[in-house]
Amino acid sequence: MSSRLSAGPPKPAMSRRALLRGAAAAGSAGVLAGCAGRPDAHLDADAAPWKRYAGTTLNFISENTAPTAAIAADLRPFTELTGIRVNIVTLELSALAQKVALDFASGNGEYDVVYADPYLVLAPYAAAFADLREFQEDPALPRLPGGFGDFIPAHLDTAGRFGDSGKVLALPYDCPTMVWQYRADLFEEYGERMADDLGFDPTPSDNSTWEQYHAIAKWFNSHAHQVRYGTGHQAKQHDALMCDFSNVLWSYDGSYFADGTRVGRFGTTDPGKCLLRSDAAVAGAEFYDRLLRVADPASRTWDWDGLGAAFRSGRIAMCPNWHEYAAANETALPGKVGYARLPKGPARSAGMYGGTGIAVSNVVSARRRRAAWLFANWATAPKTQVSNLASKVGGGTPTRASVYAVPRVVEAEQRPSKMPNMLTAEAVKAAWKDANLGLRPKIPMWGECDTAIYTELSRMFAGEVSPGGAMRAAADRIDRITARGWVN
Amino acid sequence: MTAVTPARAAVPGRAATPARTAAGGPPQRGSRASRTVVRVLVAAALVWTLVPLGWMLLSSFKPTASVTASTPDLWFAPTLQNYRGLFSGANNLWPYLQNSVLAAGLSALLATALGALAGYGLARTRMRGKQHLSFWVVSTRMAPIAAVVLPIFLIFRFLGLIDTLPGLVLAYLSFNLPFAIWLLSAFFSELPPSLEESAQVAGCGHWQAFRHVVLPLTRPGLVTTFVLCLVFSWNDYAFALVLGGPHTQTLPIAASQLVTQTGIDWGQLTAIGTLVVVPMMLVGLAVRRWLVTGLTMGAVTGE
Amino acid sequence: MDSSPTGNVRETGSPATPPARPTPPARPARRAALPLAGFNGRMMAPGLLLLAAVSLLPLAAVIAMSFARVHLLGGLRLEGVGAENWARLFTDPDMAWAWVRTAVYFVLTVGGEMALGTALAVCLWRLRRGRNAALSLLLLPMFVAPVIVGLLGRFLTDSTFGLYTWLLRQLGYNGDVMADQTSAFAAVTLMDIWEWTPLVALIALAGLTTVPSSALEAASLDGAGLPRTLRHIVLPSIAPVLLVALLIRSMDALRYFDIIWNTTGGGPANATKTASVQLYETAFRFFDFGYAAVTGLLMLAVTTVVARYFVRLLERKEPAR
Repeated sequence: MSSRLSAGPPKPAMSRRALLRGAAAAGSAGVLAGCAGRPDAHLDADAAPWKRYAGTTLNFISENTAPTAAIAADLRPFTELTGIRVNIVTLELSALAQKVALDFASGNGEYDVVYADPYLVLAPYAAAFADLREFQEDPALPRLPGGFGDFIPAHLDTAGRFGDSGKVLALPYDCPTMVWQYRADLFEEYGERMADDLGFDPTPSDNSTWEQYHAIAKWFNSHAHQVRYGTGHQAKQHDALMCDFSNVLWSYDGSYFADGTRVGRFGTTDPGKCLLRSDAAVAGAEFYDRLLRVADPASRTWDWDGLGAAFRSGRIAMCPNWHEYAAANETALPGKVGYARLPKGPARSAGMYGGTGIAVSNVVSARRRRAAWLFANWATAPKTQVSNLASKVGGGTPTRASVYAVPRVVEAEQRPSKMPNMLTAEAVKAAWKDANLGLRPKIPMWGECDTAIYTELSRMFAGEVSPGGAMRAAADRIDRITARGWVN
Repeated sequence: MTAVTPARAAVPGRAATPARTAAGGPPQRGSRASRTVVRVLVAAALVWTLVPLGWMLLSSFKPTASVTASTPDLWFAPTLQNYRGLFSGANNLWPYLQNSVLAAGLSALLATALGALAGYGLARTRMRGKQHLSFWVVSTRMAPIAAVVLPIFLIFRFLGLIDTLPGLVLAYLSFNLPFAIWLLSAFFSELPPSLEESAQVAGCGHWQAFRHVVLPLTRPGLVTTFVLCLVFSWNDYAFALVLGGPHTQTLPIAASQLVTQTGIDWGQLTAIGTLVVVPMMLVGLAVRRWLVTGLTMGAVTGE
Repeated sequence: MDSSPTGNVRETGSPATPPARPTPPARPARRAALPLAGFNGRMMAPGLLLLAAVSLLPLAAVIAMSFARVHLLGGLRLEGVGAENWARLFTDPDMAWAWVRTAVYFVLTVGGEMALGTALAVCLWRLRRGRNAALSLLLLPMFVAPVIVGLLGRFLTDSTFGLYTWLLRQLGYNGDVMADQTSAFAAVTLMDIWEWTPLVALIALAGLTTVPSSALEAASLDGAGLPRTLRHIVLPSIAPVLLVALLIRSMDALRYFDIIWNTTGGGPANATKTASVQLYETAFRFFDFGYAAVTGLLMLAVTTVVARYFVRLLERKEPAR
């Protein structure tokens, strides 16, 4: 192996602090190596803050998400503002994680701005990203309009931080959140009959429970001719299954690890023992199994996308899914879809937040990092978020509190809406409240734990294990995985 | 020279019927019933083969709503919107197409050239352990990509080959070259050494004998090798994903990019699928008769 | 690996008259004792050296990784852990099951492709009219990129808008193909068979066109029916060609996973999680490159053994002709 390949901190970094120190050293080594291969950013120290790095070309690697589609379709405003050109590489998430990992392994970064999925990128490679507070405090650089405080707090902590260092490693960029999507037209048509038959008002509200959701789904199965089934789920052996199940798990007071705030909101490398063996978790799994029995059987072949397509095709009356499907729903079923916070379990209501931030790589030169900050700053600015909302090719939803107060945006929360994703605003804002927030563990080995969870759940549907057995088996695997630790 | 004539004649269905029967067509007698059975089986195979491709082609011309209609939609107003979408706005498929053509074409060309040289050497050499050497060649093609991709990536990065066309060409050589060497050495070893020997007696150098006597005789083999290598590299996804970059995206990468967080645009995906498939089909069909001859040749001359 | 001391006439003549060579040999070796010496050696040199460069170095790195914990941040770093990764192989129940599924998948896909490909070739061979057109159309699937085959398979079997789902429903099958373990496994197997049967058929047809017609005439004069002719005359004479097809397919059957990854992703209930899917997950979802190296090496070893066996068979058949 060449010396270049083995360049890096000399000994394994055992603690987090040591790890960070090592990464800082590696970062500076990366700067030297990086200068050899790629041109450094242009710097004109006398220019205005936004213009200082004119002539630079940045590389941005992103999952092919709605905001990136909107930004990629129209980069002109940024280039006019800064004179910086941006190459955007869009990939699906697993391909993105693969490229980013390899990029870090080479010791010098190709990508200046990275779409840092909190679980597959941010947590495993937190040490490879710059602390953005440094740029925010630098008088020579443009500050974030509204500061860090304008980001919705839950978003900034979950998508932007890792661990308790206080650092901000990424700026919240998108914010898909799971909400209850239902055919308002059918609820209206059958509402009274359902209320008579079931003995409660079926209209989705803050008081609706999962048991009621189950009963409504079952009622639709046999009473409504417009749809084949009441409910559909994302229950393919896939990340989506873990997401769908987690909402139920949390609402039944189950949890993956103790101290959900520390593990979920801020993240840690050492989550402790897995709690899926608990009675609450098993009760959640039992309910979820029961729910899937009345759901559309094709649920077991759907990820979020398949579920979205099924809902739009009109074969199911309701489903829990990411709120960003609202725009597509509105095109397929104009005016017919309603959105609400997910139902309550015995403990609470929980809707998974799955947002991601964009981060500045720490393994590129200092100048490039500063140029990259300009892009991250611009791409998450309120103005950009408003124009994304109105974009024809994408959309995405804002991560900044101030955008939700813009009159044009507020107006769009009601039909007829020019920004159909905003129809979900009330539901997602409820889901982002601390009491309702659903956050999966932000740990570097989450990819493997996630796989263990959705694999066991898939085996549960196949009848290979009982709900309790699935939870215990998943817990055993997770404990083995976390025991191996993470020292990357 | 004469040794190869039967191979040429063995092109199936090459207009002249007598040639076909002479060079091993099946016995032409056979009951009517058995002929009907054969026709039915071929028809069934055609349906099984063509339905998915036909559906892909059809869907690529459908308007969005019709693509994912829950009952198959056969009556629709054909549209080019899916194709237009691939070449406009933030999507522009031209560079992808260009990269695919260049990387796959160059790699197949190099693999065939180097494979011809090495295949010939391997076929003619009398070195000890020749069998082991030739098996090693084959075995280099078997390495699972996900395992070797990390070291290959680091080596390429070290050499500055990431996101360059030469890098992709070299990566494709890693699976095309063993295939080419192996296939071509089989062809060469079926040619009697007396061919070159007589050429050398006639005053040709060793290289000239290879260039002017042996190579022309293996043309079908060379074409077959080139086409199969072209197909393998054109269709590659794993290497292109890891070793490519903003400047070297290929068509299969473009296809996977349509799988987005907020849904798959099946209309565009079927359009891109059609675009990926059609050029290879045209190439394959253009040289189909060479394909059969190429693959046949060794056996014919070895008779 | 040195060339045989007896050499041969053809090899000694060349160095004196070096013609225009396309690529100079890596080292101007004159002594016949060196590997890659002589005309044949020089012919092989560029190809084999390039092949060695792109394959041996990564292989060595993978072997090193299999004994290490692989750190990526700040540049690749290997931390030796002895045989820990290898030991894990023997206590990993997933791995054992993945290999069972891999074996079944291998036998069903490669076996199915060989059987159907040969049958198809025989049918085409017996077809008097339209053979060319039929062959042209039947070859098409092998030109489709595996990633497209996977996505197309997902499109066709989607339970909401898939064409095949709809057709099955017309036939009275109301289940969801990808929701059931057996049918999902069958589906991914059939997709692989769809893509690669044409290659086998092409190769087998090439073999068939070389069956000596005199032997066939003789057989039909003896009054041997088609099945007997096939069994005793046709199959034996195309056996070597079929082995070539078998070898080509076995080299790729274990490695390729695009179809499974793009349709079921390994589910439901792990029913389609083969060793190659597991390898991909270990490397690029879990970033556990040490264990991935072990899995990869094991796959390489198994493929090598299988291929070695087929090559032996091939060599045994060759002299007979």
